[in-house]
Amino acid sequence: MSLLYRIQHPRDALVVEGSMPITSLYTVGIAGERFFREIMEQARLFATRCPECDVTYLPPRLYCERCFSQLDEWVEAPATGRVHTYTTVHIDLDGNPLPEPRTIAFVRIDDTDGGIVHYLGKVDPSEVYIGMGVEAVFKKKSERKGSITDIAYFRPV
Amino acid sequence: MSGNRVAVVGAGMTKFVRRAQETAKELAWEAASKALESCEMTLDDIDAVVIGTAPEAFDGVHMNSEYLSDGCGGWGKPVIRGYVGGGTGVFSPIQGWYHVASGLFDTVLVVAEEKMSSCQPHPQGAFLTIFDNFIERPLEPNLLWIFALEMNAYMNRYGLSKRDIATVSVKNKRNAADHPAALLGDPNITVEDVLNSEVLAWPVQRLDVSPVTDGAVALVMCAEHVARRVTDKPIWVEGVGWSLDSAYWTNRDLSYPTYVEEAARMAYDMAGITEPRKQIHIAEPYDPFDYKELHHLEGLLLFDKGEAPRAAADGVTQRDGDLPVCPSGGLLGVGNPIAAAGTMKVAEIFWQLRGEAGARQVPGKPKRGLAQAWGDLMQVGTVIILGA
Ligand SMILES: [Zn+2]
Repeated sequence: MSLLYRIQHPRDALVVEGSMPITSLYTVGIAGERFFREIMEQARLFATRCPECDVTYLPPRLYCERCFSQLDEWVEAPATGRVHTYTTVHIDLDGNPLPEPRTIAFVRIDDTDGGIVHYLGKVDPSEVYIGMGVEAVFKKKSERKGSITDIAYFRPV
Repeated sequence: MSGNRVAVVGAGMTKFVRRAQETAKELAWEAASKALESCEMTLDDIDAVVIGTAPEAFDGVHMNSEYLSDGCGGWGKPVIRGYVGGGTGVFSPIQGWYHVASGLFDTVLVVAEEKMSSCQPHPQGAFLTIFDNFIERPLEPNLLWIFALEMNAYMNRYGLSKRDIATVSVKNKRNAADHPAALLGDPNITVEDVLNSEVLAWPVQRLDVSPVTDGAVALVMCAEHVARRVTDKPIWVEGVGWSLDSAYWTNRDLSYPTYVEEAARMAYDMAGITEPRKQIHIAEPYDPFDYKELHHLEGLLLFDKGEAPRAAADGVTQRDGDLPVCPSGGLLGVGNPIAAAGTMKVAEIFWQLRGEAGARQVPGKPKRGLAQAWGDLMQVGTVIILGA
């Protein structure tokens, strides 16, 4: 390799700065609109079911990925589940230490074939175990805006 | 013809719209399930999936085909995405063809999707990064620059007027008025409307350009023994071709699309076509801009260089002319969700050759048609020839 590995800073080489000047606005979609509105307005989780494949999708989907049928059967799911797996994160995106380590879990929601990856709260990381029962803690209604972070975290039950 | 015979047996599409509420994968699912329904097949009948989607920055999702895969029917199946920019919509069916022609798969679902409305304030922001970072980007270029420079070069080379070219926009937007999925069909538009529209980058005006669009299109392609079983009207892939010119657009002759000619010659050779002007009955060249339809018709060897505008003025390319061109309404009329737009053209040839194009049906029972797209750094040509 030439210059770059001998210089101290990337800008010591002749460089041009550039970025992609766009912002993405993602619609949550047909199924997502109902899912997030239920969370925002009622603090409830909803799933869609494919009776053909016997699969309950949470987050809900408009169609079954296995048989491609449109899913019209909406079922309320409990806001409870079990820790399928978890980790405790100590650094941020840039590799700097977090002020407080954060425990992240994949929570398999009860009575569904899906789940939600979210924060665990009100629990010491050393006490988390796979299979632990947890429940969603929703933010106050005034603070909910139709986002997955309308759930503040999951806590042990 | 190389490889095993391959047929298109089904097609489906969403409506093309300015801003879809559906997620990208919900759009893909709608098109894919309509294509399957059209030939009474289910996902179980599909061996492999080909996904077409243009720059990831539009959907705003990196590894976009992995994201789209369940909406495209890819669950538990071999899935691939090829990408040649704006040429993708015709390249994806070419990929579908070689999946089957190779003998590896009997049935392939080809799904092309684009959701450009996610990209704010305008997809031009994403296009900025296709330009050379050192030579061009400091000048703050956008796509209209290239098109305007190319259009001007083409007009000057052959002494064409804006009026000669505006007829294409009028034809396609009028044709699109008969397309149930079209975004910009207009049965009453006139050449004066085009000539009086806002100047974007001379000589390109607002109505010379296709719109930012959301939409998806899907095709079912299969081997001959499956095609014979599922339909009595298989439409055969007779030839495919693609070619790339220099990545430096300043090293190209902007008045003539050599890459389209090379792609067309590859496809004609494969199809055994020696006289394309007699043997191609209907054409869907890529028309994101009105002059591009003419440019591409010449590259496809369907008209002599500089002669396509006169033929268009004489009505040759009208739906009831000797060579109907963009009977769908094209990108100018149906809309331009990049990858999906090219596949829409292949679907249109499929419907036309089956006699299923409804109000858009061209007369005379066409037997062979061609769809072409163009893209990458404006230097790729992709061509597919279908026959009844
Ligand atoms: Zn199912």
